[in-house]
Amino acid sequence: MISMSHHPILEVKNLSHVFPNGTMGVHHVNLQVYKGEFIIIAGANGSGKTALIRHLNGLLKPTTGDVLMAGISISSNLIEARKKIGLIFQDSDSQFVGQTVYEEVAFGPENLNLPQAEVAQIVDEVLEVVRLSAVANQSPHTLSGGQKRKLAVAGVLAMKPEIIMFDEPFTGLDYPGVVQVLQQLVALHQAGSTIILVTHELEKVLAHANRLIVMNQGQLVADGRPEDVIKTVEKHAVRMPLQQGERIESLTWLK
Amino acid sequence: MAQVTFFHYIHQETVLHRMDGRLKLGCLFVLTFSATLASGWLSFLILLSLLSCGLVVSKLPLVTLMKEMKLLAVMLIIVFLTNGFHFASRLILMMLISVLMSGTTSLTTVKNTIEWYLRPIPFIPEVRIATMINLTFVLIPMIFDNYLEMTDAQKARCVTLRKNPIRRIKWLVFPLLSRTLRRADELIYAMEARCYSETRTRATFKPTHRLDWLILALCLLALILVAWYA
Ligand SMILES: Nc1ncnc2c1ncn2[C@@H]1O[C@H](COP(=O)(O)OP(=O)(O)OP(=O)(O)O)[C@@H](O)[C@H]1O
Ligand SMILES: [Mg+2]
Repeated sequence: MISMSHHPILEVKNLSHVFPNGTMGVHHVNLQVYKGEFIIIAGANGSGKTALIRHLNGLLKPTTGDVLMAGISISSNLIEARKKIGLIFQDSDSQFVGQTVYEEVAFGPENLNLPQAEVAQIVDEVLEVVRLSAVANQSPHTLSGGQKRKLAVAGVLAMKPEIIMFDEPFTGLDYPGVVQVLQQLVALHQAGSTIILVTHELEKVLAHANRLIVMNQGQLVADGRPEDVIKTVEKHAVRMPLQQGERIESLTWLK
Repeated sequence: MAQVTFFHYIHQETVLHRMDGRLKLGCLFVLTFSATLASGWLSFLILLSLLSCGLVVSKLPLVTLMKEMKLLAVMLIIVFLTNGFHFASRLILMMLISVLMSGTTSLTTVKNTIEWYLRPIPFIPEVRIATMINLTFVLIPMIFDNYLEMTDAQKARCVTLRKNPIRRIKWLVFPLLSRTLRRADELIYAMEARCYSETRTRATFKPTHRLDWLILALCLLALILVAWYA
């Protein structure tokens, strides 16, 4: 499962972010991401998870520190960084820009000014992957919760990213919805994508991850193999998902 | 958004739905112009029959539409009683034109058509305007949804006991505004994350069908007849 090359594909160096109102969003974070990893970032509400991953594709600019992609600061080529690093937003359902499912997925490739025929091919392909081809002409708002989340994934997949970041993808989904999204996640990872997943619902997914990071008050307070880090999560206001005698492998909603 | 069919695009596979948006916009102008010219029974009947044909061809859910137009019917009767046949007939025609146009034309077609017409005009950023139109279409239902949600939540907390209308507007407008702005902010981030750019793939139009020109010709014919009898 883990195929780590020697050099990180993404590197966060001493990153801090202070919001204009003085709130410390991220505080001195150092982090390396290697190809093929499945990283989970956990932490209580307001611990800075969203703020951190928004730096990774340059949506937020560091107050101090830097983010490097293949050794080069991402701020020197933001478009490239955003193509390679896809982000599925927390509350992604309210951020659809297309009138139809097809248009929603086409938005990204159209921004890259690809020829119309190529856009159409990419969209068809991606909709096939997330199994939404049948609803291509519907309005995104008519989809079920799980389908909406998959549409958000499709919109990002259309950019053919190497790293895919999910910000709380399970929020508000029912059991079948969570399973749908989880299957998608695992399939993407198996197909070779690097996954960064923000969630505090460890019981749904931790079994699939090979690395667990915990944040607390803007700081990165734990980073390592899930079986090691899991023992400390309760200290940092994340619920301990394991019952007495249970193993990490049991922490998934996939059967 | 609320389940209203009136003035909403309803997807069907018909000639009118498939029609080239650029020609359809032409039809809209011609028909609207004829409706304002129309005076007397004959011109009214010409346009009415043309539009009725359109409604039948379009396969729009007529029964549902009729039910939803009940309120407008009351308005029509009032207009008829106060302003006479002349005015009321034009109102009927305008209503039918808008139902037909909005029911068979997707917002995307509207956007692409406007963008196409703006292309040859210099100094007009047609891509930006098209994006703005699109975002407006996205944001209006969202604001409406927010509004409904908030009024419900406030009703649940007995806001109706407050009789001061200024207070109630204040509680509604400010939270609604701040919520909408925050949503819009997130939308901008989401667009940026997907590399929004104004040099983007251009909308292409399928080759125009001969039938589309025929429909435009029919509308022009109606205009000529109406102008003749006026
Ligand atoms: N635009 C902003 N302006 C000021 N402060 C902000 C802004 N966005 C976030 N913050 C603050 O920064 C801190 C980190 O926020 P962030 O959204 O990253 O948390 P999070 O870990 O994603 O939380 P959640 O689980 O609720 O999504 C919080 O204290 C938050 O209040
Ligand atoms: Mg967050």
